[in-house]
Amino acid sequence: MSGACLLAEHGAQILVLDEQPAPGGQIYRAVERVATQGRTALDRLGGEYAAGVALAARFRASGCAYWPGSTVWQVTPERSVWVSRNGRSVHLRADVILLATGAMERPVPVPGWTLPGVMTVGAVQILLKSAALLPSVPFVLAGSGPLPLLVAQQCLAAGARPAAFLDTGSPSNMFAAMRHLPGALGLPARRMLAKGLALRAALRRSGVRVFRNVRDMRIEGDHAAEAIRFRSGRAEHRVEAQLVALHDGVIPSQQITRLVGCAHVWDARQRCFRPQLDDWGNSSVEGVMVAGDAAGIGGAASAALAGRLAAFEALRLLGRIDAAQRDKWAAADRRAMRAERAVRPLLERMFPPRPEILCPADDVVVCRCEEVTAGALRQAVAQGCQGPNQAKSFLRCGMGPCQGRLCGPVVTEVIAAARGQTIEETGYFRIRPPLKPVTLGEIALLET
Amino acid sequence: MPDSHDLAVIGGGLVGSAIAWGAARLGADVALLDEGDVAFRAARGNFGLVWVQSKGDGLPPYANWTRRSAALWPDLAAELSSMTGTDVALRQPGGLHFCLSEQEVEQRAAMISRMHNATGDIGTRLLDRGDVRAMVPGLGPQVQGAAYCPKDGHANPLLLLRALQAGFRRHRGRYLPGARIERITPRGADFAIELGTTHIVVRRIVIAAGLGSATLAPLVGLSMPVRPVRGQIMVTERLRPLLDWPTAQIRQTVEGSIMIGDSHEDVGFDEGTSATEMQRIAARALATFPALGQAQIVRHWGALRVMTQDGAPIYEQSGQYPGAFAATCHSGVTLAGSHALALAPAILDGMLPDELRAFTSERFHVPTV
Repeated sequence: MSGACLLAEHGAQILVLDEQPAPGGQIYRAVERVATQGRTALDRLGGEYAAGVALAARFRASGCAYWPGSTVWQVTPERSVWVSRNGRSVHLRADVILLATGAMERPVPVPGWTLPGVMTVGAVQILLKSAALLPSVPFVLAGSGPLPLLVAQQCLAAGARPAAFLDTGSPSNMFAAMRHLPGALGLPARRMLAKGLALRAALRRSGVRVFRNVRDMRIEGDHAAEAIRFRSGRAEHRVEAQLVALHDGVIPSQQITRLVGCAHVWDARQRCFRPQLDDWGNSSVEGVMVAGDAAGIGGAASAALAGRLAAFEALRLLGRIDAAQRDKWAAADRRAMRAERAVRPLLERMFPPRPEILCPADDVVVCRCEEVTAGALRQAVAQGCQGPNQAKSFLRCGMGPCQGRLCGPVVTEVIAAARGQTIEETGYFRIRPPLKPVTLGEIALLET
Repeated sequence: MPDSHDLAVIGGGLVGSAIAWGAARLGADVALLDEGDVAFRAARGNFGLVWVQSKGDGLPPYANWTRRSAALWPDLAAELSSMTGTDVALRQPGGLHFCLSEQEVEQRAAMISRMHNATGDIGTRLLDRGDVRAMVPGLGPQVQGAAYCPKDGHANPLLLLRALQAGFRRHRGRYLPGARIERITPRGADFAIELGTTHIVVRRIVIAAGLGSATLAPLVGLSMPVRPVRGQIMVTERLRPLLDWPTAQIRQTVEGSIMIGDSHEDVGFDEGTSATEMQRIAARALATFPALGQAQIVRHWGALRVMTQDGAPIYEQSGQYPGAFAATCHSGVTLAGSHALALAPAILDGMLPDELRAFTSERFHVPTV
């Protein structure tokens, strides 16, 4: 939204394709609707959520063409875009494409994670924001990083009390992160850290049972989640819950950048692939830019700045301004970006993904769509499987309706570890269109 | 001392894996050389037909070789299943080729009659509008008829590749993936192969490297003029059983997905997809089965067939360097039975049978090196 506003305000012809029914993305999801319910409803979702009201209003007024409810299912390096809307697909062409598809939650493959009743912490938040739906059964939030704390607070504010909060962060990571503290102490970082501490304090005050240093989680249940078993300290615990929400950080959503054929690099600190970009967000494919968490996790404020920086560069690519003008206009945003970024090393060191979910045990399902276990993957490697694409053709992992979104990162990790090679050498699934399923009838009616 | 083997098969696709498995099961010491995770791999983009009715129109030995393969297929599937536990989902209920216009009906009728005269009756029949509707429910009004051949069938091509390679290892075959061939040097009666830091010496060598064959074949005095022809395939989510027979354009897998394909494009080494072909394939599928309109397409891909000028395979022993063989075709699934159970033993014997004499590259008038 930030990039589109800026571009449209400078007279560029902009079309924004949004899968959601209204502006807001993940962070400010449904912000216009919630705003109509008044200040209390907004505040329940936290102070930063309310910032979306102004942005959405500015976006609506910017003069962008806006297509909500659009599913982009093919993007080519020649900058053709195929989008499905109201049951019809159309073909668009653009001089510049800015991909701002954000992040996804890192998959958390623990035993039992495919049982009904297990979801991500982000999914709990989506239900809360878009439908004001709260868990009505005993539930547990389990994970590390800022999101579980925030969602715990949002649930409590809305009147739903978790049966337990399982903090999977490790004290040794907290300790190790402290060396990044001095570098992180800019204003945005102080705000963020203060917020985190406040959320922790609020959780403590609420009296919700909190377990620290949680590991070896296992969700139990015959047909649906009934309880979660885990270790905390030296003791083993079992908490009854019919809803278990898991979270272990977020990673860039790479389906669309892979589909286009953008080069990707491995980010060892964030432990994820991200598209290879220059300072402005240009990818390796001419005219295709990436901004926001899809470019590497930076958070909401940083995403808005990245959108603006990409927009200045897009104005240059479109021939509306020259490089000197771009640099001048972008200077303030670039400074702000540096300040925002300062806190990332600290956060990344505090909340690295746990090894047990990166390389799960043999009996844990990795590919949910085709029910492929980590053990099956390791066996394929033992038989000479070279990488994710061969694993896909032999085991069908990554061939289901989710197109490898969820298993891709884990498949690469497991194969890399089993082959004793780096993640870069191992590579990633080749992503095929359609990005999201589209009906045969719709394809037959394409005007090509 | 470099490792030595009876046979090296260059190419871990369906052709190479079938030959390697077929040779290893007879007790030969075989090395199978394959590329890495990403390569031009027809074997991963395959439609999965075991198809007889139209193969070898104008080249009777090809028709006979195909029929032989379809007849050998049940043995192949049974042996792979008992050995590796992988059921490659072979079904040979006969297959249909739908005709969507009177012109297509006439063309098909002429082909059936030509092949009947050249290679005998295998039961292929033309079904008229009424016949085909009595056989297949849910056809669209545009379907004018179909050709039915009782020998046609289908299988899961990915499971076939996996089972061949698993079976190969069971027979103590040596699988060498990620192999980049630096050099092949004929040395007396043997061949020395350099793979980066690994060297192997083999008595016999088979070039079955798909599109890579064109550049490898001359190293051992062979000629394999092949070029890529792209095919695009779409696949739906899993659906309830809708179609009992495989067809040339549409087939339902045992898992329930419907595969829709049959495109032939001359686009060089471009493995991508195109909206125009996608639309054409979809429109034809809908004209055949209107009910598929609501089916969700979950994946669409392009893959490169390995095509000769006349569409028929190349099988040949090098005159200059006996012991070196060429094997390539665009029907790696259909011909897997023949490749594993007829071609592989012949290669171990060092002599290709007369029935394969028609498949040398001499027919392209390209002089061998």
